[in-house]
Amino acid sequence: MRKEEYVNLCRKQRSNNSYSLSGTILPLVKDYLQHNRTNKLPVIWVETNDSGDNNISFMNTTYPYLDRVFSDMIDLLYSNTFMAAQGKEALYILEQAATTYKDKFVLVVEGAIPVKDNGLYNIIARTENKNITALEAVKWLSMSAKYVVAIGTCASFGGPSAARPNITGSVGVRDVVNREVINVSGCPVNPDWFVGTLAHLLMFGRPELDDLNRPKLFYEFIVHRHCQRRSCFDRGDFAERLGDIECMFSLGCVGPRTPADCPYRLWVNHVSWPVKANTPCIGCTNEDFPDGSEPFFTTLPEKRKNNQGPA
Amino acid sequence: MNNRSIIFSPVTRLSGLLSVEITIENSRVIEANASGAMFRGFEWMMQGRKVTDAVYLTQRICGICSQAHGAVSSYLLDELYDSELTKNAQLLRNIMFGAEFLQNHIRHFYFFSLPDFVQMPKRPPFESSSLSDFRLNLHDNERLAGHYHEAVKAAQESHQMLALFGGKAPHQHSFVYGGVAVAPTADKINQAKALIKDINEFVKGFLVPDTELIARVYGDYFRIGITPRRLLSFGLFRFGTKNEKVLLRSGVLTDNQISTLDPGLIQEDIANSWFNMENNREIRPNPYKPGAYTWIKAVKYAGQYFQVGPLARMIINGRYNGGTSTMDRIFTRSIETLLVAELIREWLDQLIPGPPPINQKEKPVKNQATATTDAMRGALLHRTNIEDENILEYKIITPTMWNFSPKDRNGNRGPVESALVDTDIYSANLLDTILGRIIRSFDPCISCATHIINCTEDMDGYTLF
Repeated sequence: MRKEEYVNLCRKQRSNNSYSLSGTILPLVKDYLQHNRTNKLPVIWVETNDSGDNNISFMNTTYPYLDRVFSDMIDLLYSNTFMAAQGKEALYILEQAATTYKDKFVLVVEGAIPVKDNGLYNIIARTENKNITALEAVKWLSMSAKYVVAIGTCASFGGPSAARPNITGSVGVRDVVNREVINVSGCPVNPDWFVGTLAHLLMFGRPELDDLNRPKLFYEFIVHRHCQRRSCFDRGDFAERLGDIECMFSLGCVGPRTPADCPYRLWVNHVSWPVKANTPCIGCTNEDFPDGSEPFFTTLPEKRKNNQGPA
Repeated sequence: MNNRSIIFSPVTRLSGLLSVEITIENSRVIEANASGAMFRGFEWMMQGRKVTDAVYLTQRICGICSQAHGAVSSYLLDELYDSELTKNAQLLRNIMFGAEFLQNHIRHFYFFSLPDFVQMPKRPPFESSSLSDFRLNLHDNERLAGHYHEAVKAAQESHQMLALFGGKAPHQHSFVYGGVAVAPTADKINQAKALIKDINEFVKGFLVPDTELIARVYGDYFRIGITPRRLLSFGLFRFGTKNEKVLLRSGVLTDNQISTLDPGLIQEDIANSWFNMENNREIRPNPYKPGAYTWIKAVKYAGQYFQVGPLARMIINGRYNGGTSTMDRIFTRSIETLLVAELIREWLDQLIPGPPPINQKEKPVKNQATATTDAMRGALLHRTNIEDENILEYKIITPTMWNFSPKDRNGNRGPVESALVDTDIYSANLLDTILGRIIRSFDPCISCATHIINCTEDMDGYTLF
């Protein structure tokens, strides 16, 4: 398969098939691996300050399901959530992986990086001699990684972990490393966006990115453009309360300024998305989420434009 | 071996970041410090925001139990706004909340706990040469390791059921105050019925027999990791127009007596946590505090520590009469999974197809409210004070705070530290294996546990109410 075909597949704009993306990824990856006599994608995944929702969302991937991603697509060398090893052995594996796969592995960072007080608000591991902070670990690993991928809005831009008053001084990965970070934002990320980005890195390298370094494959168009209720918006049919079937703009929908393909990609085996659940999009892929989306149920022009200090 | 200190870090296969330091004397654990190693300060974040944002925002506390925060904050807002809930709304809410339980319990058993007892295939992310003491015969070992695949699908289907009604998962959108914004249409009900049928078959055909096998082969773990028999639950699955009924009862078990829970007796203690009290009123984080070892604050009831979770729920509700060991915790989580899968099936039968069961009132009738429920890991509390719908104060006590409480100022131990102390490390190379099994049986969620609360000081700690 050529890169252009893959890009079209991810965008699925005119597809008459199902909207599932990942269903078609695995055979492609297998072909690619066989044909190119290459290895699976080595991945080191570091969890920092977030809720862990992105690894849970990743577990919801379908076609390929999680176990097939592990067996056929990536070598997940380090992951606090998934790895069997623990304690000192886990740290040993991390060091070995970073050395053995130097300039080959993908560093996935899940969560924001607290920088205040030398990063002591997030310690990924302790040894007899020291605390290894997320700040140190991410800086160190980013130097030998082939690509750095921020999964979720906390890792991409700070997200809820950096919401005002941000007493831990949390920032996105891009603010602590000296290199390009691919931001696969979302709260949580949609598994297709993440698995699709990994597949692109494996087969075609760096995907085309938007001005906030998000893969255009998934973030090129705003939610509003493809929303099923766009015709309601155009006609001025607005919802009065949650549960209504009209346009959610009146109830605070941030779709008009949120890049994501939720309206046609949908969530968890492609069954629904927030507007289909008769509630507004809250703009979770945005750089200013959540502060810029709040109050969630107030219309876009009236939302607070700038972060306010604590009450 | 003589007295020596060992750091067990990172404790993998759980939600969030955890380190544990233990002291061993003559092969026996004589002290344990469990350290929650991350801090986000959600309660400060909540101040000044509109209170109706709480349902979506507090779900971001946790990835694996987000619906628990969504549910309890909805109950909180129901009280503030004087919601009246229809039966359909409560059924739908409990179906969604129940689906989150299934997702959590299945993933905990197969993704987090299983590699402690079953030798997984030697490839990433399962490679390990230090995990040991695998006792299943070759055939059973291969069979159970293969069930990882079925578990992936069953857990995904649980979240699919939640997303079917909730728009997405984690962090669903439709379960809010006043009811549920989604219409339980016949097609959605039927899709959910198909999903629960699959999940039910998985629970009965895989999860329960696999748990029984592991409990049999690792029977000594019914004597390892025992905690004091003090158990607490806030109750689970609310019904009634005012959330006044609860299916699984709340209660406090001490000295084998169950008594009614009085939230006024809940206290916190920051003696060993990285927080300082300033101006006798406000707590501030201080990662340099001498002697402190965790971001988790101690939480106590009537001056004592209590264990929370499926074990507490099942014993308090008379559905289990075993002990308080590692294997009791693992076993009751699986029993509860079976119960919840059955309940969801019944609730789907009772659900009447119709319009979205929601009615949100415009203005709050109160300025203060407290809401409780049990989450997957145990007792969860949200409490708020508001002014003109804006949050003045928002307090959260999570289940992992109860279980992973650090020692108080008198050196009394919380449930996890109690469970670790006195453990016999009968072979030095089994240290991590044994500690890992005990700790994971509590299903720790450190992302949830690390918060901050403002409260008033008294002799023993800080009283919440």
